[in-house]
Amino acid sequence: MRRVIGTAIGKSVAKAVKIRGKSSGQAMPGLVVETLIPGYLGAMLKQLPDGIVIVTGTNGKTTTTKMAVELLEVNGKRVLTNATGSNLTRGIISSVSQQATKSGKLPFDIAVFELDEAYARQFTDVIRPRYVLGLNASRDQLDRFGEVDTVAKFMGETMLSATDQLVVNADDKRLSAIAAGAKAKVTYFGVAPSLLRFFPRDDELVAVDGKQATLEAADVPLAVELLDFKGDAATYRIGKERLETMLQVTGQHNFQNAAGALALLLAVLPKVSPKTLVEQLGQVKPAFGRGQAFKLKNGSEVQLNLVKNPASFRQGLASYARKGIATMVAINDNIADSRDMSWLWDIDFSVLKEAEVEFTTGLRAVDMALRLQYDDVKVNAIEPDLEKALGAFCALPGDKIIFASYTAMMTLHDLLKRKAGKEL
Amino acid sequence: MTHKLHIVHIYPNEMNTYGDRGNLLTLKRRAEWHGLEPAVHYYHVGDALPKQVDIVLGGGGQDSAQGAIQDDVLRIGDELHALVGAGVPMLMVCGTYQLFGNRFVTNDGQEIKGIGIFDVETIAGMKRLIGNTAVETEDFSTLYGFENHSGRTYLKNDQKALGTVTRGSGNNGEDGTEGARTNNAIGTYLHGPLLPNNPHLADALLTLAAQHAGFELKTKGLDDELASRARMAAVTRKY
Repeated sequence: MRRVIGTAIGKSVAKAVKIRGKSSGQAMPGLVVETLIPGYLGAMLKQLPDGIVIVTGTNGKTTTTKMAVELLEVNGKRVLTNATGSNLTRGIISSVSQQATKSGKLPFDIAVFELDEAYARQFTDVIRPRYVLGLNASRDQLDRFGEVDTVAKFMGETMLSATDQLVVNADDKRLSAIAAGAKAKVTYFGVAPSLLRFFPRDDELVAVDGKQATLEAADVPLAVELLDFKGDAATYRIGKERLETMLQVTGQHNFQNAAGALALLLAVLPKVSPKTLVEQLGQVKPAFGRGQAFKLKNGSEVQLNLVKNPASFRQGLASYARKGIATMVAINDNIADSRDMSWLWDIDFSVLKEAEVEFTTGLRAVDMALRLQYDDVKVNAIEPDLEKALGAFCALPGDKIIFASYTAMMTLHDLLKRKAGKEL
Repeated sequence: MTHKLHIVHIYPNEMNTYGDRGNLLTLKRRAEWHGLEPAVHYYHVGDALPKQVDIVLGGGGQDSAQGAIQDDVLRIGDELHALVGAGVPMLMVCGTYQLFGNRFVTNDGQEIKGIGIFDVETIAGMKRLIGNTAVETEDFSTLYGFENHSGRTYLKNDQKALGTVTRGSGNNGEDGTEGARTNNAIGTYLHGPLLPNNPHLADALLTLAAQHAGFELKTKGLDDELASRARMAAVTRKY
């Protein structure tokens, strides 16, 4: 009964919110249902025959979730997932009530959710996931979390809630230590020892001399290993097979995330061959604002790349920054971005020396320019207004890249969708 | 002849949580811009301090990291006291500020001994004090930064504060004080990091460091327009 009533309430609130055009609409139906019908979410999700997958980690959740969802779908599974940015329990309840039938049935086989690390507990206390994928724990929004150990502790709770299988990044020391205490089966993904230098862990990001010794490879068998990458091509080892594919989701960090997605899929779809999964991976396109490219009316391309903490900014710079591409950096300090600008000082920007920066923009445009000054990176203009900066930036000839903090990315994504000829 | 200036950054691998490298980078770059030749020394657990020390920097860390360096701080405590006595400027932020105090009492009542350069003690708190902060000081005018700490620090006897908070919580969120000052050593909860947003403090520390090294620093008028704009924005920031 509560499935039917909860679904009806969720749908009608969503309708009402839509009519009134509220931008906060995604969470509202979930909030109402959560309050009126406790137990709704658990009752609904219990119906899924293949259970629930949760993706947790500081960086790469959205892209990896997208990879997992698309690979499951292409292999015939009906997959329920949460919309970008609504990674709190109420966002998931909203999704569930929208997608259920009027009789309260969920026409799906499996769900894949990315969860905000601080709120994951609310979810796993109600319903336990069959599979959890743990990507990485890195310094992020410390004005919210306090310290990195706290972030890892939250993720650990989620990881240990898996009933059947936990898939973990063997190269993340904090997460793999937690996995050692799991009751569920644990499998690992990782990168070849020769590639470790491209994927520094949190402590190495900021470490100075004498710390290189910690770059040793993890001492566990890897279900999936990233062996090599060059341009858009990545080579994986699964079992004894070496498998190569071209990825559309670019950025070296995503080669590592894809190893995680593959290891997860091996667990969920044991009957599909590794070779097929790796081929299918090549079909996945970048997620919302994560290396997404737009074609502008003047024929040039602009790529929008979310940077939300030192690790993701560093990976973004290593993957995309180069001479000859016009660069803009957009930094806000809303709650979802981090109010504290300290994180900008944990990133080495000297790679931008050659490229220069056309604009810094956003609420913290000045702070960003100040940061760049200390790495001798030339900034041609400071324009805090995102729309004005984007207009002037897009008018420049040639291909372009934007590095943007979370809320700046959301605004720029909206503007680009209106402005651009088409999304690529 | 270019003057050398020896900057010692203590425990960079353990105490580095809130952009602390930014303070080091600011001192190093500004020293260069003022025509000096800065030499950066990283001091790790078990090392010997360099022979020449003109300025010492320390950052904030995780609670777990504090445990890892605690014994080592006590080991070099006497040397650090001697440097403070000799007028060496120091900037200790957050976790290292606490360890430069008398003691830190954890939530479960455990006592972590500090080296007592500042006559302060810190009690663990439940709720973290987090946010944009502004401090009025006697010698370094207004300082802007960001604080993020759970420890509550209390000044004892006649220990001087660094300044008075006009925004934010400061040492403990109760008495309006922020940081501590002993001779030229400064302890503070402001990160953000502190020095790029407060270049006048960076230059003051460099001037004191030069005095210790035996020469007079003639600061050049650097282009601090961006820092001025960031400071102006800090005044009107809503939260």
